[in-house]
Amino acid sequence: MSATRGITRSTIGTLLVASLFVVMGIVTLYDTLSYGDVDSKVFPRAAASLLIIASIFSIVLTLLKPAADEGFGTGSWWRRVLLVVSMLAACVQMPLYGFVVASAVAFLGALIAAMHDEWRLKNAAIYVVSGAVVVGGFYSLFRFGLSVPLP
Amino acid sequence: MDIGSFFSALTPLNLLFALFGVVAGTIIGSIPGLTATMAVAVLVPITFSMEPASALILLGAIYTGAIYGGAYAAILLNTPGTPSAIATTFDGYPMAKRGEGDLAVALACFASVAGGLVGAFALLFLAPPLSRVALAFGPVEYFWLSIFGLSLIASLSNGNLAKGLAGGAFGLILSTVGVAEVSADIRLTFGSQTMIGGFGVVGALIGLYCIPVLIDLVAVPERHLKVEKGVQSVRIADAFLLAMKSKFNLLRSSVIGTLVGILPGAGGSVAGLVAYSEAKRNAKPHQKFGEGEPDGIMATEAANNATVGGGFIPTLVLGIPGTPPDAVILGALLVQGVRTGPALFESGGSSIAYTFIYGLIIATVLMLPVGLLIGRYAYKSIVMIPKAVLVPTVAFMTVIGTFAIRNSVSDVVIMILLGVFGWVVGRFGFAASPIVLGLILGPIAEQGFVQTWIIGSAVGDLSGMFFGRPISQGIVAFTLISLLYPVYSAFRQKRILANSGGAA
Repeated sequence: MSATRGITRSTIGTLLVASLFVVMGIVTLYDTLSYGDVDSKVFPRAAASLLIIASIFSIVLTLLKPAADEGFGTGSWWRRVLLVVSMLAACVQMPLYGFVVASAVAFLGALIAAMHDEWRLKNAAIYVVSGAVVVGGFYSLFRFGLSVPLP
Repeated sequence: MDIGSFFSALTPLNLLFALFGVVAGTIIGSIPGLTATMAVAVLVPITFSMEPASALILLGAIYTGAIYGGAYAAILLNTPGTPSAIATTFDGYPMAKRGEGDLAVALACFASVAGGLVGAFALLFLAPPLSRVALAFGPVEYFWLSIFGLSLIASLSNGNLAKGLAGGAFGLILSTVGVAEVSADIRLTFGSQTMIGGFGVVGALIGLYCIPVLIDLVAVPERHLKVEKGVQSVRIADAFLLAMKSKFNLLRSSVIGTLVGILPGAGGSVAGLVAYSEAKRNAKPHQKFGEGEPDGIMATEAANNATVGGGFIPTLVLGIPGTPPDAVILGALLVQGVRTGPALFESGGSSIAYTFIYGLIIATVLMLPVGLLIGRYAYKSIVMIPKAVLVPTVAFMTVIGTFAIRNSVSDVVIMILLGVFGWVVGRFGFAASPIVLGLILGPIAEQGFVQTWIIGSAVGDLSGMFFGRPISQGIVAFTLISLLYPVYSAFRQKRILANSGGAA
């Protein structure tokens, strides 16, 4: 990849991520000002300094020689978002409606996100039943077998 | 040690316990979020009514099975089932992606059995002298050991050291969130009660490794893993031949695993990373670690299973647990009324210790058929299950597995958000592995560094404390070799190419 390749979308992404790391390093350094004991400061400061230096190096190198990072690539965005949102929604619902209902929501959301074949009644029924078996099976294993206090 | 202990371990009941332990451990270990510690802890109560030797055999078998079971998810889902299998993902998943998951699973099994046997035989023959190694390691040695582990970042950076170092440093910062190890300051929580507990390693592992895979999987209609031909079985013969070719790698990794297992607190993840690093440093020119190199899987799996036997050395001889599951087993031993210490090995041939060690060897041998059989079905299931079932099942397992660690919904949210963050930064060349490396080795490095600093300041000899002790000097030398050898090797290769070009 030559320098003449210029600034691409993936280059901008790399620069943004590296800049975000620089900001995180600065925030960490700022946070260490509030620690009472010097023992607590040394290590985070060293790590933050390394983060800032490495990220700045990364920015400079990316500007000098843009790398061929994939970037977000192709693929369906609504499926990616649905997967993450349904998992987060399950977390919100867990304390309110219990683990089984929350898991069912996450499972259904992920199933719709991952379903690339044509929807047929038979397929849908098989997938929903398999979901019930998986959720029920693991719930029983964790709740009764491993005594995990699931909500 | 005598033949009586061996036959005590061979009773039908003990064999049954060993078999049950290996099967249960392998299955529990293969579920992301369920660690070997959890597997042992959950099943400890059922051992209270057993004979001490049988109880130990069962717990040892669960432990060794769980460490091996972690390889399945690492290879087939890019998610380490247990933290010990982190380095298994580096080459295991690339192998699975190119259609060699069946071979990778079988390799992991052979390597785990080899490593497990080396660790168990070290426990059998060398326990008392090797336990002195544990006592020779002070804070500074732990500090340098973690720095040696962090030097692996150089080789995990996919050709971009600056990005790898940034990722590693970010992981180190994540490891400092919460209450400081030594001085108990609250760090980087920004007033949040949730963050006081810090980032759980297992939750972070699941998030950083598994969520990006799921996000990528749902986005495109292609299959999860490439399947070249009809799935019949795992490739036992091919794997055996490869394992025989890599005898030295297996032996070296097993010895590393045994020695790291002896060190209290280091554990299978550190052993796997150190062994992987050594295997990579000694790689032949055609070997491409990180792109599906069988030696990478064998190094990690041999090392992490060797920590089982290694970890029992300080546990049984000194009463100091070598790894977290050893701490649980030590507790179970105390409940049984077994007193650990050198006397445990000297009380005649038929002692509990030797019956247990033989039981551990038998359990490790049983892992071969059990592991290959379970591996076959795990592989078949993962490649045959439609994506519309696989993705929600794995997503559900990440949620329940993360929740189970600390019974915390916040941990699940952090796991998901960290996973999304890992996916975004990974897309721009900041790989997850250096972040994970920093997160795991950060606490060991910080504790060792701060304690050494305090001691060095107190005695007025900081440089002597950091660089003056022989074991530290050895680890520093290895670290430097690890960092500089690839540079020297690349320079040499360039020179050879230039010379051959000039000659032509």
